[in-house]
Amino acid sequence: MIQIHGLALDAADGTLLMEEVALSVPKGGRHLLTGSSGSGKSRLLRVVAGTERPARGRVAVAGRDLWPGDGALAHMGRLSLGLAFATGGLLSNLSLRDNIALPMRMRGVPAQDWQDRAEGALRRLGLQAVAGLRPHAVSAAARKLVNLARVLALDPDVILLDDPLEGLDAADHSAALEVIHGWVSEGKTLLAAQEEPGALAELATGRLDLNAHLVPRETP
Amino acid sequence: MTVFLARLGAPVRGFLEFLGDQAHLALRTLRHAMLLRVDQLAVVGGQLKLQVRFTGLDALLLICGTALLLGAVTLIQAFSQLSGLGAENYIGVLMALIILRELGPLLTAVLVIGRSSTAIAAELGAMQLNGEVDALAAHGINPYQYLLLPRWLGVLTAMFALVVFFDAAALAGGFLVAKLKYGVTFGFFMESVRQALSNRDFAATLLKVLMFSGAITFHACHFGLGIQRSQTEIPQAVTKTVVTALVAVFALDGLVAALFYF
Repeated sequence: MIQIHGLALDAADGTLLMEEVALSVPKGGRHLLTGSSGSGKSRLLRVVAGTERPARGRVAVAGRDLWPGDGALAHMGRLSLGLAFATGGLLSNLSLRDNIALPMRMRGVPAQDWQDRAEGALRRLGLQAVAGLRPHAVSAAARKLVNLARVLALDPDVILLDDPLEGLDAADHSAALEVIHGWVSEGKTLLAAQEEPGALAELATGRLDLNAHLVPRETP
Repeated sequence: MTVFLARLGAPVRGFLEFLGDQAHLALRTLRHAMLLRVDQLAVVGGQLKLQVRFTGLDALLLICGTALLLGAVTLIQAFSQLSGLGAENYIGVLMALIILRELGPLLTAVLVIGRSSTAIAAELGAMQLNGEVDALAAHGINPYQYLLLPRWLGVLTAMFALVVFFDAAALAGGFLVAKLKYGVTFGFFMESVRQALSNRDFAATLLKVLMFSGAITFHACHFGLGIQRSQTEIPQAVTKTVVTALVAVFALDGLVAALFYF
């Protein structure tokens, strides 16, 4: 379902950050990306989502070549993929409810259906009380849950999770974990990034440590 | 010699690349607009409505106030120079030449650059830094359809309406002065303006609105979406948007004037 070959990413200063990254996640597979802070886990997820161009390498999702190419833009509406961001990723001029509904509305999901799915996702993650607020008016933990709720409502085949449990209190942690367990039991393809494997380790069928692919940096 | 030529050529190459980027952005927006489905129109229409409200409706008072004063001041200055030469006979020509042909579209564009292109550049820059543009693309929402198209059409619609209101308010300002100074009637004033106007003026104004709105929007989108790393890039992008959009609007204005009246 997710194929990565010979991938390299540049660092902010233009030097090479990581190279020779290879990964193959079969349909229904659950892979964990681990690595120290700044090792490029979030960026690798964005590359797989087709929103960040890698320095080189090939990336394909569900048989569609994202890179080299135009990334997600070349496959708009044909790629069933959801990405839960670690921070940000929510449109600041929309309410949390509208943020969850937007991808479904743009995909042409019937009105009653997207409303039910959005409400269901909000209920499942305990966000109904704040659903009418905008992202800046709620806590960072709530924003993280909204990211999960958006993916939950969209119900894609491939799910990318960026640090999905970090910074959540016990109640939110268990609600988020329950949603992830649900995806596992539904046979969704998962690729999750976590600094430490933690609670996701037992769910993973494979693991890629990005520290092993980092290009050593010269110290001045 | 090679170094000198390279130095000479670098800004030219940069300028041509920038023009290419603008054309690329406009063409891609048009291409993706063609792919818009009927069931997506409500979402894109909602964004368009917001843009029209911000660029058009919220700026209406500012535009009308500026135009009213400009129309009045233009005729005050003209009458002060042409008194005794039958100035009232040139009212229509003055208003048509100075306000309707040139200053109407040009000053409206300048005000829209100051209010809206800066807002678009800053908003898109903040969205880029906050991962909102990535989130759109990752979830199958085409950024050209959701972000660029409604902003372009919104600025185009709003600018067209604003130019009409600008011209109307400027004529009202001019008429007030003409009436107070020479007791000119409304019928005489409007007839004098109508005689000075031609279809060519309407065509030139329409073309200006179309070109200005494109230049304003795509400059803002280019610099706003070009922000990648830090909040400090936002004010830089806004400044670049204002400066380059102003230069573009004046250059296009000159081009249209040469095309229609030279």
